[in-house]
Amino acid sequence: MTQAKLTTPARLPELAVPPMTPLRRFTMRLTRIADDARFLPALLITPVLLFFIIWNVIPTMWMIGLSFYQYQITMPDTLNFLGIENYTDIIRDRAMWQGLSRTFIWVFFGVGVQTILGMVLGYLFWGSKDMPGRRLALTLLFTPMIVTPVAAGLFFRLIYEPTFGILNWFTKAVFGQELLLLQSPELAFWAVLFVDIWMWTPFMILITLAALASVPKAEMEAAEIDRLSWFDRIRFIILPHSKFVLMLGILLRTIDSFKTLDLVYLMAVPGTTTKLIAVLLREQAFEALNVGWSSALAIILLLTAIAFTSIYLYILNLNSKAKAKETAA
Amino acid sequence: MNRAKGWRKHAYHILLWVIALIFFAPILWIIIGAFKTTDGILAVPPQFVFTPTLDNFTDLFQRPNVGRYLGNSIIMSAASVSIAIVVAFLAAYAFSRFKPAGTNFLLFMLLSIRMVPAAAVVVPVSLMYATLQWKDTYFGMIMFYAMFSIPFSVWILKGFVDGVSQRYDETALINGGSRWHIIFRVILPQIAPGLVAAFIFNLIFVWNEFLFSLLLGGRDTTTIPVSFSTDLYSDGGVDWTFIASMATVYMIPPILAMLFFQKYLLVGMTFGTVRGEV
Repeated sequence: MTQAKLTTPARLPELAVPPMTPLRRFTMRLTRIADDARFLPALLITPVLLFFIIWNVIPTMWMIGLSFYQYQITMPDTLNFLGIENYTDIIRDRAMWQGLSRTFIWVFFGVGVQTILGMVLGYLFWGSKDMPGRRLALTLLFTPMIVTPVAAGLFFRLIYEPTFGILNWFTKAVFGQELLLLQSPELAFWAVLFVDIWMWTPFMILITLAALASVPKAEMEAAEIDRLSWFDRIRFIILPHSKFVLMLGILLRTIDSFKTLDLVYLMAVPGTTTKLIAVLLREQAFEALNVGWSSALAIILLLTAIAFTSIYLYILNLNSKAKAKETAA
Repeated sequence: MNRAKGWRKHAYHILLWVIALIFFAPILWIIIGAFKTTDGILAVPPQFVFTPTLDNFTDLFQRPNVGRYLGNSIIMSAASVSIAIVVAFLAAYAFSRFKPAGTNFLLFMLLSIRMVPAAAVVVPVSLMYATLQWKDTYFGMIMFYAMFSIPFSVWILKGFVDGVSQRYDETALINGGSRWHIIFRVILPQIAPGLVAAFIFNLIFVWNEFLFSLLLGGRDTTTIPVSFSTDLYSDGGVDWTFIASMATVYMIPPILAMLFFQKYLLVGMTFGTVRGEV
């Protein structure tokens, strides 16, 4: 022990300057480059760019190219250049327009009901801070939106089931009538939409709670003193403060609702009344294996999504500008 | 007076609990179903009182593929989200502090990846994967999920890095700290909540993801959501005991995450664009 202590000082200089091997010179140069303010930003962004380019830009370019061709996976040799014929085909396709209008009905009613119901229930939940078991209650309330749509679809298939489903048992017992929801061409669409509403109303409740949290307490107290009616309170105090967050929530929901596919995939019983636009795309690409045609459709949907995104960011910017103004004033 | 008020308050709280339970009821019904026998699930009229059995769960874990589905789901979500968070954190720091040319455009493009219908994203990637033979490989799936988790993580983390004052960077630089020291020792500890939020919500996303796994994966990389569709039928009918018990097991992690990380829920559900707690 004592011997070891004695020998230590003699070794110290050697440790302080390690020999300059080529490897060490290389790593030193690397760290210097990595520390250089000129290279650092580029270095930090490189991984994201790599992912973005390999998994997004290249495939998208590929797809843009294929969208001008007639190409079917089952017949790899038939690669005919069509120009924009795929696009004009889609525009002329009746099934496509039906799918699109169905999607608009889906988005309109789905997001509409979710927003209204979510705002009403969110308003109810405002001021529940001292509710016993609040955390657990909110967890139960918000669970539908974090369940995978596939599972949610299956849960409701069990509930809607004609012979042993609980809903049918109930309608038979109370109204004496069987209710065939998923099997009926008229009702299937609404039965699936109901599941979507069940899943995403909690999201609008969450958004409403967030929006209400941004209403200043002082102004609510002032309204209390001024004896404003609840309608005026909503109109003059709550809405001006919460409209941005609400708008963001509604827009996010619109975008997501536009994309719906999984839920329909496992709920739809053969038939066409639940074929939304994304469902048609999946069928063409992965069942009909009509790659050129579905590439063209995918690009149309891509452009739609980019338009949605710009609107979203526009509102987001408005929001931050309004906030900056508020703090400046 | 006071008593009447207290009574009203109780009624109000009971009402809120009832609303929460109504939303949870369909899930509760499937969880109850998991403890019934096959005949119990199919019984007419539906059984509300019955002797619970754990047979479905023992049966579930004896099935040859279930361990694999569970393992795949765990491996893929953990691996892809870990990669995504590291990559996104570095980029978020660069976007926040250096604002290189094209930052806004890149952030916009990243966000739009998440806005595109999944089927449109998967068409080009599946073409590429078929050519490179990356379909149904762990590498292909994990990297794809990582790519899909990055936009969300960059957005969420950039917001949090923006929230840390530049003064910290300046002080550290003056005191001789390197940029890497700043990134990992000064900034990282301060944005821990953002990292947790990004991690949890990406995990939930990958854990729930169905379409990509169905179309890009295969026999080797089947995850739990896909197993709901591949193992749906047995003996000509829907295998409800499998669905119910599998769904119950599968829902435990997300529900626990919601219970313990509730304050990140809002940030998580809005790509980090709306901050706050509920």
